[in-house]
Amino acid sequence: MDFATPPTRMAAEPLLSIRNLHTYFAQDEGIVKAVDGVSLEMNERATLGIVGESGCGKSVTARSILRIVDRPGRIVDGEIWFRRPGANGGAGNSAIDLAKLDADGTEMRSIRGAEIALIFQEPMSSFSPVHSIGNQIVEAILLHQDVDRRGARDRAIDMLRRVGVSSPDQRVDQLAHQLSGGLRQRAMIAMALSCSPTLLIADEPTTALDVTTQTQILELMRQLQQEDGMAIMLITHDLGVIAEMATDVAVMYLGRVVEQAPVDAIFHAPKHPYTRALLRSIPRMRARSRERLTPIAGSVPHPYDRPTGCPFHPRCPDFIAGTCDRQTPVPRPVGERHTVSCFLYE
Amino acid sequence: MSVVREPRSAAAHSSLLRVAGLRKLFPIRKGFLKRTVGYVRAVDGIDFHIDEGETLGLVGESGCGKTTTARCILRAIDPTGGEISMRLADGSVVDLAKLGEPELRAIRREMQMIFQDPFTSLNPRMTLLDLVGEPLLVHGMKSRREREERVADLLRRVGLRPEYMRRFPHAFSGGERQRIGIARALALQPRLVVADEPVSALDVSVQAQILNLLFDLQEEFRLTYLFVAHDLSVVRYISSRVAVMYVGGIVELGETEEIFTAPKHPYTAALLSAVPEPDPRTRGKRIVLQGEVANPAAPPSGCYFHPRCPHAVEVCRTQTPVFQEISPGHLVGCHRAHELRLAGVE
Repeated sequence: MDFATPPTRMAAEPLLSIRNLHTYFAQDEGIVKAVDGVSLEMNERATLGIVGESGCGKSVTARSILRIVDRPGRIVDGEIWFRRPGANGGAGNSAIDLAKLDADGTEMRSIRGAEIALIFQEPMSSFSPVHSIGNQIVEAILLHQDVDRRGARDRAIDMLRRVGVSSPDQRVDQLAHQLSGGLRQRAMIAMALSCSPTLLIADEPTTALDVTTQTQILELMRQLQQEDGMAIMLITHDLGVIAEMATDVAVMYLGRVVEQAPVDAIFHAPKHPYTRALLRSIPRMRARSRERLTPIAGSVPHPYDRPTGCPFHPRCPDFIAGTCDRQTPVPRPVGERHTVSCFLYE
Repeated sequence: MSVVREPRSAAAHSSLLRVAGLRKLFPIRKGFLKRTVGYVRAVDGIDFHIDEGETLGLVGESGCGKTTTARCILRAIDPTGGEISMRLADGSVVDLAKLGEPELRAIRREMQMIFQDPFTSLNPRMTLLDLVGEPLLVHGMKSRREREERVADLLRRVGLRPEYMRRFPHAFSGGERQRIGIARALALQPRLVVADEPVSALDVSVQAQILNLLFDLQEEFRLTYLFVAHDLSVVRYISSRVAVMYVGGIVELGETEEIFTAPKHPYTAALLSAVPEPDPRTRGKRIVLQGEVANPAAPPSGCYFHPRCPHAVEVCRTQTPVFQEISPGHLVGCHRAHELRLAGVE
């Protein structure tokens, strides 16, 4: 892959194109390279699943896109090209590099929450406990849309109805703690979609929920995507959720995308040793009971203690001495929309 | 519920643990005088047994009473009613529910617990030697040298290096900490180990390591596990038999293979179908349950599952189903267990 120039104008230009993104956290103990050279692309209306274990940088990548990385985190390098619907009705689409914008400036503020919306993992802590959920949705609508308070409230009730909240005209005045986990997540989705975003980032949207509630929420997200046509970036550690929802998948490990491919290729023709090992290590519903699993040796290294070269080399079964521990692999195309960062494919 | 309650003489031959009619109610107190206005029926009359050397998986969604059941058995909390008969190493059978603290103290070495969160369950100010050696000291191993030898041996068994004995837990990763917790639980050579969500806080690649370890230790020490978990694929891997809980009661219990491939309770079937498979080719065959888990303080009439059950008929609304044996070793609490043809995991 070549990152040297801004995206060339092609017929199907991606909605989002991240190039060589680096987001670092400078701590007293050293620099945590949370995102260390992430490159990925996603198309309009697609669902890109981002999968990885704790500390792989999947959430920081999402926060970098929205420019809400907590201090002392900072984007130190890279580009985040986001295609905005043009002012003249979409014909003059223009891509903008979010990484270059002022995080608190008007332009970023008009994108954040309106064109790109976010759903968090924990709906309890992402709503204010002292304002009704209705008022919080109304506030989001008033910020981005040209409606009065009454119109915004009607729109909030409409949205709650669309996400399957029963008696929305009463629920709209309730506080977050009066709702169950599943309902709170529905309200969260209502708020995120109230301004019709073109990109919805969902960071572990069902991890805190029970499995039968998870099914309901995933079903709802799929239905809303069909109706509204937004693209979804779905961040999760659960390969089952990825297989269920995603059209494309990016597998991350220690701040890098090690493999990106259409969902079927990731699960049925994985190329990177980490993707393969991950798929082998998870217990499956279809497996016979009491059958041994194949774990990945070792554990994810501490962020201050990053391995040199390919970050996966100390745990890799196909490790090539002298290469993998010295040089860092870059993404290479190995198939249709399929890229891998691994020396096995060079 | 007479089916499971065999005479105790028969039980004494095979079962290590036999739970009969176990109940735990938590009072709801309100007002200035803290008067009891109702009860949360966390566990409401459950029966099961665990044979020596086997693993019983206890599954269910949050609030179904699985953790309360585990805590009652260990007498971490006092049950409201019922019997918990455990056969001790010397062959005698005691009812744990009736014992007082002094008698329990001696018996506690035969039953130990592995906790969910390896980050909060280990005292950060204690070294591995103190952590793993503490139960030995409490149960009378006074010689420090002897303790050190035993701790070294235990650490080796769980795959940690004995040289790390003087280190503190913060120096270890999540998976390694869970190994420390397991070593501590095994220090007194217990016969019954209660594991409450032992892998759900771990990264997927590390989960497999811990599951394999639990498996090996069981073979080596002939341990009996009560394995509490919400993740059905993990339960399938580890359990010989499975009990499914819903709102304080067991709705289905049987051999793991049978529960997974031929479930008889609609809730089990829904739970199984809700787990997203890590394979995009199996998409879209989900049973989406409507509504939410019933409130254990005000459960619905009849079968607690009827408001969400796709197969509910009139009798389900009015009468509580009997938990009965429908084939050898397979018990179900459903009015329609004989007529329904439910799909399991292929």
